Amino acid sequence: MKNSIRQSWAVARVAARSNLAYLGEVASRTFFLAVILFIFLKLWQATYRESASTVLGGLSLNQMLWYLTVTEAIYMSAPRLAQQIDEDVRSGALAVRLLKPISYPLYCLSSALGERIVRFLANFATGAVVTFCLVGPFSCSVEAPIMLLVAVLLAFVLDGLGHLIIGLWAFWLEDTSGLLLIYTRLSMILGGMLIPMELFPDWLKSFVLFLPFPYLIWGPAHLFVHADWLQFAQLVGLQCLYIVVLLAVVNLIYGWALERISAHGG
Amino acid sequence: MWFSKFLSYLRLARAYIKLNWSMQMEYRGAFVSQALAMFLNNGTWLAFWMLFFSRFPVIKGWEQADVVTLWAISAAGFGLGNAFCWNLHNLAAMVSRGELDVWMLYPRSLIPHLALGKMSATAIGDLAFGYFIYIVMVRPDLQHFLLFNLLVVAVALVFIGFNLWRGSLAFYFGQAEVLSEQWFFAMITFSTYPNCLFDGWMKVVLYTLIPAGFVSGLPVEALRDFDFNAAAFTWLGALAVLASGAASFELGLRRYQSGNLLGMRS
Repeated sequence: MKNSIRQSWAVARVAARSNLAYLGEVASRTFFLAVILFIFLKLWQATYRESASTVLGGLSLNQMLWYLTVTEAIYMSAPRLAQQIDEDVRSGALAVRLLKPISYPLYCLSSALGERIVRFLANFATGAVVTFCLVGPFSCSVEAPIMLLVAVLLAFVLDGLGHLIIGLWAFWLEDTSGLLLIYTRLSMILGGMLIPMELFPDWLKSFVLFLPFPYLIWGPAHLFVHADWLQFAQLVGLQCLYIVVLLAVVNLIYGWALERISAHGG
Repeated sequence: MWFSKFLSYLRLARAYIKLNWSMQMEYRGAFVSQALAMFLNNGTWLAFWMLFFSRFPVIKGWEQADVVTLWAISAAGFGLGNAFCWNLHNLAAMVSRGELDVWMLYPRSLIPHLALGKMSATAIGDLAFGYFIYIVMVRPDLQHFLLFNLLVVAVALVFIGFNLWRGSLAFYFGQAEVLSEQWFFAMITFSTYPNCLFDGWMKVVLYTLIPAGFVSGLPVEALRDFDFNAAAFTWLGALAVLASGAASFELGLRRYQSGNLLGMRS
């Protein structure tokens, strides 16, 4: 166990460092993030005005924009984990990866985690500057950034496991891109990336709460604008529960997948 | 004289489309899955708008049916313009790498050969999605449906002209891939949000620098109010974007430097 943690840490650190070398890519995303946040500002400005309300779903316009900054930063930081596994399986590169002294799923997860943390921090910093220019500062509580970091970290593990499950289906399917698209779009809509869950119709909200999607995006972003220790404990508990469930699923699928591998020569 | 020339170009387009279609059909499974994936992707965005308008029924005079029309016209127009002229999507990269040589060897003008050289399966998914939601969700009468077809062609011309604009940047700036890509993202993003959200200087930008107003503004107005003036302005705008796109390409071509690449079109 201790050895696995040490190995994961090493892989995550290398992935994070190699991503730090590509900060130029972040600059190219800045423009897109600015456009999106500007459009969101216009959309929600009009919505608040038309509904003659200063608070919608418990959020003021300022809080709404900062909420959307966090959700965009989380969503846009997703690495190409499922596609990488798909490529490894199809190209046969998996045979080489299996020689490494670390379990393949753990290697993929750690590497994706390291990459994603760097991307998230860069996206959030960029988005924060843009949002600050659009709606001014956000007065968050001292504990909000800490809660956000913990919740985001667990959300990345949870999302990474989701990507692993999809990527491992490459052992049976010709192409997993369709599955990945369904998964990412579900997390976009049901995860509250575009519209906070408080504004969902009641029937949808009560249904979505039983799925892991809200805990990937909505949960961390909501905590950032409404920091509350009780809600934080609930979110972390649910994230851990889903992580345990998805870990079991990954183990099961990976076990089946290993039985299908046949490598020839070198 | 000009009519026989026009017919000759139509025959050229038919030949390219036939050839590209048979190439796509060689990988029928991949073609269908890509088209379906795009259908699903657009469906997710539409789901967001349904969710949004279920909570806020009117935003600046726009209702749910207007946003469905917006998505129908922009998806179908984008699909039509890019399904058969997909090569223009990567024009900036082709110019930067000096890859136009092989296209210059053909008789007739360069732009039609270059544009029609590639077909996109995902854009066909967009085209199908646009028509599907317009027929199923808006349920137009015959007059509206005919006007919709006219406007789809105009929007397709906007996208073709716009692709020539952004691709031609490479003639003037050398490495313009990132700039061209960011401009494209801005165009797509503004084309898929209600035009009524923007006013003042932003409106000017949306009818000049980022001509999304000819996609998400005038055509929707024309269909909602059955307004021939708005339809005529859409067509005028489309022809202006196309003509200026072709002019910037032809002017830029004088600065083109061959990459001395040996290439063969397969």
